[in-house]
Amino acid sequence: MSTVWTLYRASLKEFVRDRAALFWTLAFPILFIVMFGIIFKAGSTTYNIGIVNSDGGSVGLGLMQTFKDSKSGDSNVFNVQTYSTQDEAVGALKAGKQDLVLVLPASLSETATSPQPATVDVFYDPSHSASAQIELGLVQGVITQYAAQHLQSVPKLSAVPQSIQTHNLSAIDFLVPGILAMSLMQLGLFGTAPALVSLRQDGVLRRLGATPLPRWMLLASQVLLRLTIGLTQTAFIIGLGVAAFDMHVEGNWLALLGLVLLGAVAFIGMGYLIASFARSVESASGITSAVNFPMMFLSGIFFPIASLAGVPVLAIIIKILPLTYLGDALRQITVQGAPDFPLALDIGVLAAWAIVCGLLSARLFKWE
Amino acid sequence: MGSEANVIVADGLRKYYGKTHAVDGISLAVRHGEIFGMLGPNGAGKSTTIEMLEGLRTPDAGSVEILGLRQPRDATAIKRRIGIQLQTTALYPRLSVTEILDLFHTFYRGHPTLPTDDLIRLVDLDEKRETRSKQLSGGQKQRLSVALALVNDPEIVFLDEPTTGLDPQARRQLWDVIRALRGRGKTILLTTHYLEEAEQLCDRVAIVDHGKIIEQGAPSELIQRYFQEIAIQFQDGHGGSDAYTRLPGVAHAAAEDGLVTVYSADVPRTMAALLERETSGEGKLRDLSVRSATLEDVFLKLTGRALRD
Repeated sequence: MSTVWTLYRASLKEFVRDRAALFWTLAFPILFIVMFGIIFKAGSTTYNIGIVNSDGGSVGLGLMQTFKDSKSGDSNVFNVQTYSTQDEAVGALKAGKQDLVLVLPASLSETATSPQPATVDVFYDPSHSASAQIELGLVQGVITQYAAQHLQSVPKLSAVPQSIQTHNLSAIDFLVPGILAMSLMQLGLFGTAPALVSLRQDGVLRRLGATPLPRWMLLASQVLLRLTIGLTQTAFIIGLGVAAFDMHVEGNWLALLGLVLLGAVAFIGMGYLIASFARSVESASGITSAVNFPMMFLSGIFFPIASLAGVPVLAIIIKILPLTYLGDALRQITVQGAPDFPLALDIGVLAAWAIVCGLLSARLFKWE
Repeated sequence: MGSEANVIVADGLRKYYGKTHAVDGISLAVRHGEIFGMLGPNGAGKSTTIEMLEGLRTPDAGSVEILGLRQPRDATAIKRRIGIQLQTTALYPRLSVTEILDLFHTFYRGHPTLPTDDLIRLVDLDEKRETRSKQLSGGQKQRLSVALALVNDPEIVFLDEPTTGLDPQARRQLWDVIRALRGRGKTILLTTHYLEEAEQLCDRVAIVDHGKIIEQGAPSELIQRYFQEIAIQFQDGHGGSDAYTRLPGVAHAAAEDGLVTVYSADVPRTMAALLERETSGEGKLRDLSVRSATLEDVFLKLTGRALRD
């Protein structure tokens, strides 16, 4: 075991002394966070909401007031404007004047106080809002809160068929876990496949193979090195989110650690698999980019997958990509984000990817 | 030669890549404590052969016995007792000489190793011990790579083209290191395409061409076996060696790219005949030189081609 440790330390030194690689490993995700953080901060956390109140009763008025009174810190969460007809309100949404439109039906007060489930429609435009999911979650949260306080005896009053937000999820809360997931993916792909192929191409694997060093020790040290880098990135990313952008971390740190390790292992496995096929560093980089690109944009890292799932082909791809599940799980664990999938499914899919990639590359990886 | 003194024995080694017969039936025996060289042009099959001996490649046919152990069956046991230097030297570019050597020590845990300090002194890298490997010169990298092959104080050291790409001074420096190894009782098997290296450094040489050993023996022995004659060399634009074989005293003649080499057992008579040909305009004698035969001449005679650096 001490041989693995020495090899690990040698690789770590090698990595840390490569200033350029070190810089990009840490700077790239930070760049993303700062960029998006500034964009979303500039857009502030006040959302424009149009409300069409067709309900003449107390529930409609009460909900309106609750939206007007919702505060995040000192500022209002919603800028409420009322419309008399749904067409007029949706027109404003299409024009980009409103982020969301809430339609309170005529008989809301009656149904809400009866045993029947009551619903309100929330209109949103995914193409205009990168944070539609957050806003939907916020609306759901407000309504649930209202229902809990004023309609105790009533089983259901819901806006959208989504699970419940009990706190305000800001745009940065949504983004940081996604960027963390992306960094872990890129560590597994860009940080692993070309590096391994170059070890093979330069004859390092051959030279080490000429010593009695068992191969698994070399592998173990390489995987350990990448896990270390992954954890360092995690610390940087979450640290920056919390320190600079008021990210609300509410999850369990141990669960986060476990998830980061599982995600890293799944993508490192994918990196090894790519390295098994690639004959040169260039082709490894090419394949890696080809795999990276769709994952980056089809896994709900920068915008919720709900906005993509309408296209049938995309809906299938989204559900195959491991990054979808890592992003979802990280959001659930770090900021209690609304789940797209049950956490157990996220973990299961990631573990399956890790195992399949691991087994395949164990069979296919060429040392020369 | 008693077979117990043979530390490397290869029999009928073959390695095919598709239709290419990279190694086409090589048998050799290397004695304890000698420097054995495999001499041949690039692509002759030297590297493939040495890698099969080291256990890094599996032969398609034939057997390899190292220190009485068999490849590939005893590969791990063999790896502990041999030292290997490969043609490629890229290895942890950002680690220092000392760090890389220390790292390699951990690969041989539980087996006797040579201290890093001794290795650094042996390959004369004292001044570069804290230098990162990518900042070393070509010759220094090669010496580091030789030092890495010596970490486990091996009984046999395999060196694949150890001096390729080095300037003459660096090459001689590495020869000194290799001779020092022989002085410590090591057996050394090396490949080279430098005739001078084979002649000056090796106790015995195997000449390899097209995947076969075409001749082997001590360099002086090989030269004597083929040439009791003196070589007379000159440029003759007309090419062709046939005209010269009939001259008095000439045992053999060869021509390549207008450079004619005539091997004469009676230099005065041959010279007289050559001068006569020039006077009569039949031939030319530009850049004339007279020298004793070398391994180069042996190679030329055996393959019909020159082996140039």
